[in-house]
Amino acid sequence: MIKNFFTTTYRHLWRNKLFTVLNLLGLSIGISAALVISLIVYYEFSFDTFQRDSDRIYRIVIDANFNGVEGHSVGVPAPLGSAIPNEITGIEQTVPVFQFQGDATIHVRIDEDHASKPLLFKKQKDVVFTNNDYFRLLGYQWISGQQSSALAQPFTVVLTQSRARLYFPDLSPTAVIGKQLTYNDLTLTVSGVVGDLDKPTDFNGREFISLATIEASSLKENFMMDVWDDWMAYSQLYVKLSANQSAQAFQAQLNTFYQQHNTERGKDITLSLQPLHDIHFNRLYPNIGGRIAQKSTLYGLMAVAAFLLALGCINFINLTTAQASQRAKEIGVRKTMGSSKRQLIQQFLGETVVMTSVATVLSILSIPIILRLFSKFIPEGLTADFMFQPGYLFVLLLLVAVVSFLSGCYPALILSGFTPTSVLRNQVSGLTGQTRHAGVRKILTISQFAIAQFFILATLIVSQQINYSIDSDMGFDTGAIFKFDTPRDTAETKSRQLLHTVQSLPGVELASTGFHAPADRGVSFTTVSFHNGTEELKPTTQIRWGDEHYLDVYGIKLVAGRNISPGDATNELLVNEQFVKEIGFQRPEEALGKFLNWNGNAVPIVGIMKDFHHQSTRSSIMPLLFQKNNGSTFHVRLKPNRDGQSWSHAIAQIQKAYHGLYPDEDFNYQFVDEMIAQFYEHEQATASLLTWAMSLSILISCLGLLGLATYTINTRGKEIGIRKVLGATVGSIVQLLSKDFVKLVVIALVIASPIAWWAMNSWLADFAYRIDMEWWMFAGTGLVAMVTAALTVGSQAIRAALANPVDSLRDE
Amino acid sequence: MIKITELQKFYRTEEVETVALNNLSIHVKAGEFVAVMGPSGCGKSTLLNIVGLLDDLDNGSYLFNSIEVAKFNERKRSDLRKHNIGFVFQSFNLIDELTVFENVELPLIYTKVPAAERKKRVEEVLEKVQIMHRRNHFPQQLSGGQQQRVAVARAVVNNPKLILADEPTGNLDSNNGNEVMQLLTELNEQGTTIVMVTHSEHDARYADRIIRMLDGQVLMETVG
Ligand SMILES: Nc1ncnc2c1ncn2[C@@H]1O[C@H](COP(=O)(O)OP(=O)(O)OP(=O)(O)O)[C@@H](O)[C@H]1O
Ligand SMILES: [Mg+2]
Repeated sequence: MIKNFFTTTYRHLWRNKLFTVLNLLGLSIGISAALVISLIVYYEFSFDTFQRDSDRIYRIVIDANFNGVEGHSVGVPAPLGSAIPNEITGIEQTVPVFQFQGDATIHVRIDEDHASKPLLFKKQKDVVFTNNDYFRLLGYQWISGQQSSALAQPFTVVLTQSRARLYFPDLSPTAVIGKQLTYNDLTLTVSGVVGDLDKPTDFNGREFISLATIEASSLKENFMMDVWDDWMAYSQLYVKLSANQSAQAFQAQLNTFYQQHNTERGKDITLSLQPLHDIHFNRLYPNIGGRIAQKSTLYGLMAVAAFLLALGCINFINLTTAQASQRAKEIGVRKTMGSSKRQLIQQFLGETVVMTSVATVLSILSIPIILRLFSKFIPEGLTADFMFQPGYLFVLLLLVAVVSFLSGCYPALILSGFTPTSVLRNQVSGLTGQTRHAGVRKILTISQFAIAQFFILATLIVSQQINYSIDSDMGFDTGAIFKFDTPRDTAETKSRQLLHTVQSLPGVELASTGFHAPADRGVSFTTVSFHNGTEELKPTTQIRWGDEHYLDVYGIKLVAGRNISPGDATNELLVNEQFVKEIGFQRPEEALGKFLNWNGNAVPIVGIMKDFHHQSTRSSIMPLLFQKNNGSTFHVRLKPNRDGQSWSHAIAQIQKAYHGLYPDEDFNYQFVDEMIAQFYEHEQATASLLTWAMSLSILISCLGLLGLATYTINTRGKEIGIRKVLGATVGSIVQLLSKDFVKLVVIALVIASPIAWWAMNSWLADFAYRIDMEWWMFAGTGLVAMVTAALTVGSQAIRAALANPVDSLRDE
Repeated sequence: MIKITELQKFYRTEEVETVALNNLSIHVKAGEFVAVMGPSGCGKSTLLNIVGLLDDLDNGSYLFNSIEVAKFNERKRSDLRKHNIGFVFQSFNLIDELTVFENVELPLIYTKVPAAERKKRVEEVLEKVQIMHRRNHFPQQLSGGQQQRVAVARAVVNNPKLILADEPTGNLDSNNGNEVMQLLTELNEQGTTIVMVTHSEHDARYADRIIRMLDGQVLMETVG
């Protein structure tokens, strides 16, 4: 029985090679996409789920609201961690995690006795300050050292096994204990080695310095260890609550406690408990050097996977039912021989399972290749090995089962439903019955093309919007301008000297110092108010700083008044047109000379800037102040690039001057237009994802259409012959055969258009400045789909139309 | 009307080359009714296909109305065919998805006859073959004889000068067969030239002349 099943299955698949290949291709593409995407989703959702009692672990974060401006911080005031265990009940563990300031990296040096030169590791990541509870909280494996006291003393450090091997490749974990490492100017003694965490986690520490080190060293000042009313993102705090402690009650206690220590601003600040499972996804609280996954992106990916999978299944159903009449004889014979309908259903479902399994194996084999090809979309740390997690293997089995069921059921019912007599009367391809199935096939083909056209439309609109956003006039010049940072805490004379050098280079048109570019990553707000005689107006206001050349570097125009004066005049301000409007003036001139209440001083407005975009064009223009400040960021406008080389030459010269003044620093520069393009990184990723989804959905749909067209045209061979005998031209036959398919594409467009219109409308709603959806986008989409369908069907139609009618009309 | 001399036709498949027609010459005058007979596989259908310009020939000459058509390309053949020749097949070859009316109308569409004119001509010819009452039925709903009458109607609707019929009664019982033969005779009496392949001596007697074939050659001709 089983053997019989496999031989018929094998022969059937082999005899219909074209269909088998089309089916396998369609299914494999769908399954591959689903596998990779579910791998990504499974990976992202498994972050920090391995900790024991993970539902009791929280990070304390800050939600603040100053004058209606919301702010969030992943860091909390530094003294909080050491204070709460004694003051608040219901805590099982308190784990502060501090990072080095700046980019959270550090130089690590190893002075080996016998080595002539010390070993230096620049910019080491994943170094944290914490306490012994950290290892208990996360369930680390101890390899050597005293677990209970390894971080009790100042100037001790615990390494993970990978770092121990990196620093002391020749020593065993036990021999590493007692060795010394120098972090910048702190010399620490290794007091323990732990195993690396091998599960997805945002706790990416690999070197753990005892928290007591901060108190006992010059770092104490930097980390504001006694400051209650300020905080930095570098000082995070995790707690594990006791088993019966409610999070709400704990948070209430915590805030009451905090208000006592920050009586002035405390009421604007809420300390919140962020659950462990939220940490990997919440963009409000980004880890420094960490990565936040976006749930919306993951859901989008899942939708894409579902669609591609659906397309593969639809292909399967279409091709299999189209072929049904070819198998009518087999079915008739089997039934006459006594096979029950159930046995037939089992047989056909079995065939589907075989196909799906083959497609799945092909997909699994291609996963490593796909992961490499799509590395841009693949989260850091995800490798093909992750597939072998028991949980994921279950997902895999489920996938095979669902796909087999979805694509196998309908064909199995149709096929097993053939009656032997109709087979003997040879009427399966006649008018009766078969038309209904052709109708189902049409509906399925329409859905395929509707999905494909939805993706075409979405891709088109997203990329149009991105181009529009990137190319839209920011209100200041973005071309040929770049910026770079100088170290903040060095003498200003160096900076002056560098500015002078840069300014005198022949390739440089103008240079300025300041901080942010007019539009930059992140925002900086300031508090400012204006008294209009009756009330104090407090618009939510952004701020930019620069010297007197800043406006010229960026080509920002003044609509009234004058630029800030050179020299150290900090007591004058420029504002933008929007600001003028919000403090109640119609014309810019009216605001000139008015005094603003700023940082406790009355400062006059000396000029009004024409509005420019200070963020991506997603957001609308807000009130903005400009203040004189010789900041540490250089803004350089280059002369127009005539020979294509002058820019790199000028930049090289600047780099040389930079290194002359700051020998230990890296020179990193960025062109402003490139930075602005990066504002749309997320959209760019969406666009390329959509492009892939579009291409694959078109490909799968065309595979299906090709199969369907081949089949339909083959069954119409006789009709085509008759028509040719009666005088039809090749052209009219191709037209006749393609017409039906083109009609399906048009119907699909009619269905896809409103859905796409609605979906893209809500996507575009996020952009303050956005494109309009125009009729040509829809028409173009229809045209693309139609041409693709026509080419696919046309090739088959032409083949059929050119065939000699004598062959198809020969009487058997 | 038809003058074929020294006609040769080969079929090449991967292994063998079949000589379907070998140095065959025939002559059919306008208004004649000719029957072609011979054992299965002797090349009757092949000859009819060539006469009907459906297939090309490998050697020899074919004058159709004194025009040499042996070297005609597909397009020219199609043009000549649709205006001059009607076909009747053993298995009717009606299009299942079209009604009786639409089937008969088809040749007129391909010769670009205007719609009103088409309707008139189709109804006329359906009247003539006595199938008018079933004009809106599909071929599957008709008996074999009725289907063949529709096929004849379709063959003559364009008023072709030549009708080629390949075993038109092969799938019919004697009653239905006779009806179809009657129809063909009437057409012939009205001036249409007919070349008919048949296995039936009875049907062959309707013809003015019988050409007997064997192995791709003409064996003998008898005038009725
Ligand atoms: N397309 C083809 N390819 C190869 N050989 C062919 C082809 N068509 C016909 N033949 C061969 O040519 C010869 C003549 O065939 P043809 O169909 O003309 O015979 P026929 O006289 O019409 O026979 P029947 O009375 O059975 O219809 C036969 O040997 C046949 O096998
Ligand atoms: Mg024959």
